[in-house]
Order: sequence, then C-alpha cells, then structure tokens
Amino acid sequence: MTEAVQPSERETASLQAHFGELLESMPDGIVMVNAEGRIVVANSQAERLFGYGIDGLRGLAVDHLLPARYRDAHQGHRARYGQQPRKRAMGSGLDLWGLRRDGSEFPIEISLSPLRTAEGAFVLSAIRDVSERKRIEQALQEKNAELARANEAKDRFLASMSHELRTPLNAIIGFTGTLLMQLPGPLNEEQTRQLRMVQQGGRHLLALINDLLDVARIAAGKTEVQLSRVGLRTVVEDVAQTLHPQAQSRGLQLAVELPDGPAEAVTDRRLLSQILLNLVGNALKFTEVGGVRIVVHREPGGCEAAGSPWMLRVIDTGPGIDEADQARLFAPFSRAQTAAARQQEGSGLGLHLSRQLAELLGGSLRLNSTVGVGSTFELCLPATGG
Amino acid sequence: MARILVIEDNAVNLALVDYLLHHAGHQVVSAATGEAGLALALADPPALVLCDLQLPGLDGYGVLAALRAAAITACVPVVALTAFSMSDDRERVRTAGFDGYLTKPIEPEGFIGQVAVFLQQAPRGH
Repeated sequence: MTEAVQPSERETASLQAHFGELLESMPDGIVMVNAEGRIVVANSQAERLFGYGIDGLRGLAVDHLLPARYRDAHQGHRARYGQQPRKRAMGSGLDLWGLRRDGSEFPIEISLSPLRTAEGAFVLSAIRDVSERKRIEQALQEKNAELARANEAKDRFLASMSHELRTPLNAIIGFTGTLLMQLPGPLNEEQTRQLRMVQQGGRHLLALINDLLDVARIAAGKTEVQLSRVGLRTVVEDVAQTLHPQAQSRGLQLAVELPDGPAEAVTDRRLLSQILLNLVGNALKFTEVGGVRIVVHREPGGCEAAGSPWMLRVIDTGPGIDEADQARLFAPFSRAQTAAARQQEGSGLGLHLSRQLAELLGGSLRLNSTVGVGSTFELCLPATGG
Repeated sequence: MARILVIEDNAVNLALVDYLLHHAGHQVVSAATGEAGLALALADPPALVLCDLQLPGLDGYGVLAALRAAAITACVPVVALTAFSMSDDRERVRTAGFDGYLTKPIEPEGFIGQVAVFLQQAPRGH
C-alpha cells in the first residue's frame, strides 16, 4: 500500500492556477484527487457541500468525504479506476452518500473524469447534493402509493357496490317473477298489470346498476381492452341472433349485411358486442314499423381512425331524432325527449357508454338521423386495433 | 326429481331459490355457511350444489376446493350463484373450476331450465 503523500505546494499551486477559476464557475462541488487519493484542488462549492472552510479540503484523503462503511470498497474502486480511467457518471440508480465534516450524511451523485497534466494523473470528481431531489422523489413515491391505494379502494368499493345493489334486486325481480309465473296461485288482470310494473322497475334498476358500473369503470380506466383478431361476421350474427326474439315480438325485420369474404378487425370482441347489442337493442325499441339493418363494410377515410377502418352501421326505420336531441343524445341520462322515448325503459346511459367504449377501441360513434325517416348509428372501428 | 344443496347466507335469496326448486319438484337441502354446507354435502352427496361465493367463514371458492378434494363429492357439479357479476369475477369463477355460473338477480323464468341443464351434465367426468 502506498503511503499517503501530502500534495506538494508546487503541485497544488500549479493546478490551482490552471483550473481554479474554471472549477469555481461550475455549479457542482468539484474535487481533484491525485494518484494517492488526496484532494489537491477543491472548489468552494465542494467545501460548502461537505462543511469544510476555505482550503479545508486540500490535502484531505478523499475517503474522508465518504461514510466509513463505504471506505474499504471505495479504495478498491479507486484503484481499479486508476488502472482504467474513463469518464463516467455515478449515482443515477446508485445509492451514494457523502459525509460532511460534522458527521452528517447526504445523498450525492458523482461523475468522474480522468485528467492528465504535466503534474501527473488526477481524477476530477463533480459532486452534486441530491437531497432535494431525493426528497421530492420520496414525496412523489408516497403520493403515488397513496393514489394507488385510493384507486384500489375505489375498485373494491365498485365491486361491493355492484354486489350490494344486486342482492336486494334478487328478491324484487325474483319474487315478482314467481308471482307473475303464477306459481303461488292465479292473479287477476290488475294484479298482473301492477306486478309487471314492479318487474319493469326492477329490470330498469338492474340495467342502471350495470351501466353505471361500466361508466365508473371506464372513468377509472379499469375497462380492460383485450385485443384479438375478431371475425366481425360472428359478432354481428351473434348480436342479431340474441336480439332476434325482441325484433320478432315487435313485428320488425332484423337484417344483417356483410361483405363477401373475411371481415376481420383487431379489436375487443366483448366490448364490440356490448356496443352493437346496445345500438341494435335501442333501434328495435324505438322502431314501430319496418326494421333494423346492420350493415358492415370497409370505408377508407370513414372516420379519424387510421388506415382503412370498418364501418358498422345500425340503420332503423324509426321516428328519427331531431337536431336538438341529436346534440345531447350521447350525454348521460339524456334520452330524446319525445313521448315515445319517455315510455321506453333503459338506463339512459347506453349511448353514452357505447360512445366511450367505441373510443376505447380507437374508433368513434356518430349519428345521422332524419325525423320521419329513421336513424343511422355509425360505429367506425379501426381494422388494426386502437 | 333431484336432491340439490343450496349454500346461501342471505335468507331472502335462499327463500327464492328454495321456492323455485321445490316448485320444479326438486328436493332442497340448504345451509347458510360454507362449513355447514360442506358437512351436508359430505354426509350425503347431492346431485348438484348451488353455492354463493361470498359467505361468512369458508367462502364459495373454499367450498369448491373442499368438495373437489373429497372423493365422495369430487364428481358433484358445483355452480356458483353470485351477485358478483363483473367480467373479472366471471373469469375468476371459471378458472376456479366451477361447473357453472349463475348471477343474481336470477330470472325465475329461466332458472329452472338452467338448473336442469346443470343436472343433465352431472355427474362430472374426471
């Protein structure tokens, strides 16, 4: 082991003359260390940083600026650095600490540069106090953890709310159902009529709860979009099949028009079905005569979605929606104000939800409607995922 | 017809399921906790178990695991009957190995038909 040698006056004076002013102009604390690990020049920023007075650092073994627990390792690092000096930054991602003269420690970042002068080889260390940054990082971390906890609490709340709200509805919808099935005994006409209203109210409440939860989940960013290659034919035909009884009971046609050949999109099958069920269900509800068509084809430039998106149109021969109503149709709880619309059950959230889901899928949902002719809802869906 | 075990801690929900099953001619045994339901199933394995998921003490998943672990009930079909109906709940129920999933509120008109389907599938193949 080399015996520690005090830097000579000549060495110090020469370096000070060369670098002193330059080092003073730097924002970081800077020390120049000789081959023996002694500080030969330090700027006043470094002296302030470590709590040494004027000229307090000069001649000090650089190890003294480290907490004792790092010193052994540091000697090894320094020896290796001496053999293969190169410029490098230390500290980002590392947990490095400086030791002040009064024994207190503070987090630092260091960058090292080798320096070869007429007086020999030195290492120049720029040292930065990162206490403030660490403190902010810590505060941010705590804040993030807090937010994550709040989010989890909200999730749990949503899940239990769904569970708690549905449980009493089980009694309401269930026993209304048994009564209407006349399992306990026959009903007269008026009893049946009133029970049907209870049943409708119960189902309406259930639809509201389901849709509200969906809206809340989207708002919380909790709706998972699972992209896969989805055959649009299957999805559209499934939707048509599901709603066929509803169409039939209202004496309406429900037709599907798909292009020849494969019709595929990279999208979320479940969310797409949910949108279509909603649009087609709505169309059937509001249409008295005629029917509903689901028309699917590719439409380059059909909407903002890049490439050549799919356009899925749900076209009805219903009463149509006037312009004033069109403007607010997609807002929550804003069903069209016609008498016919007011009689319909539904959560009033369906279109709002459908548009949000369409946007989650990278697409859009728009309406074209003419009073007395009918309405067309246009779902534009990117072919290659959102 | 069939002997069906219903594990459900909500008295009104139990009354509804019990009423519908009785009406369809099934014999119903019931328990309000997972532990009691498990004891009933092990003492005399039913043709079908309808089990709530959220139960005090041993929950529906615990009941399912215990039933599968016992040789005498390993092949009894177990259907989750729950008001947890969000998509991740459905996924959890499916991966847990339940034979079916019925959400509350149940629709009485379709309920007996659904139960009949589960009964036809019984006993589980292993």
